[in-house]
Amino acid sequence: MSGSEILSTLLGSEVRGDLLVLFHRNPGLIDTVDGVARRIGRTTVAVISEVRELLVLGVLRQKRIGASEVVFLDRAKDRELLESVANHLKTVSIGGEK
Amino acid sequence: MTVMASRVRESSWNNPHGNFESVSKPLSPDQRFAAEKEFSSVLVSTVREAVGDALGRNVLEILTSKGLLDDASNSKEFDRKLESLFGNGAAVLERIVVKDLNRKLGIRYDSEASFDYGKSLETAREVCFAESRLR
Repeated sequence: MSGSEILSTLLGSEVRGDLLVLFHRNPGLIDTVDGVARRIGRTTVAVISEVRELLVLGVLRQKRIGASEVVFLDRAKDRELLESVANHLKTVSIGGEK
Repeated sequence: MTVMASRVRESSWNNPHGNFESVSKPLSPDQRFAAEKEFSSVLVSTVREAVGDALGRNVLEILTSKGLLDDASNSKEFDRKLESLFGNGAAVLERIVVKDLNRKLGIRYDSEASFDYGKSLETAREVCFAESRLR
């Protein structure tokens, strides 16, 4: 996946942007999708498909703790993806200027 | 900033209609300059935090070196630069910026409402100016 495609996925919706900020500000956060939704002031319904996109991308991971499925940031994968984004942005001109 | 937010909240209790212009004396040129400077500083720090927290410090530094934050209080210019870099993702970053800015200034943010980055910055600027009038 190219840096450009990763960027499009990361910023694919407002909820996804909120999720990124939440997990980057709290990199040790482990919570259920319900809990994550509450933390960003959204409903579970609004968040579930956005979490799924980030799980597919690999920036979030999921595991079972007791009876609950929880999600958390995969820090190594997150670093790797953001590095690709950074490398992509190095090649892009700002405001159409070269 | 907490002081600013609490003062702003005080001002909205005194002025429940949110009309900042009608309740106080106009700013002198010096006060206006200081208020503009303060607003610009709050905005730039908020943009830095928002972009850095969404996409990481490396990305933020690259964007800074490309001049994203030059003249950040010019909403049209900032919007143009963001769109050239992020396409549709620009609106997502702008919402993150406005959400953080509103939180700092004690302005309510409604994620369901239609969004206009320029108008949102104008509202935030008015709140900063109202704060300056109260000093």
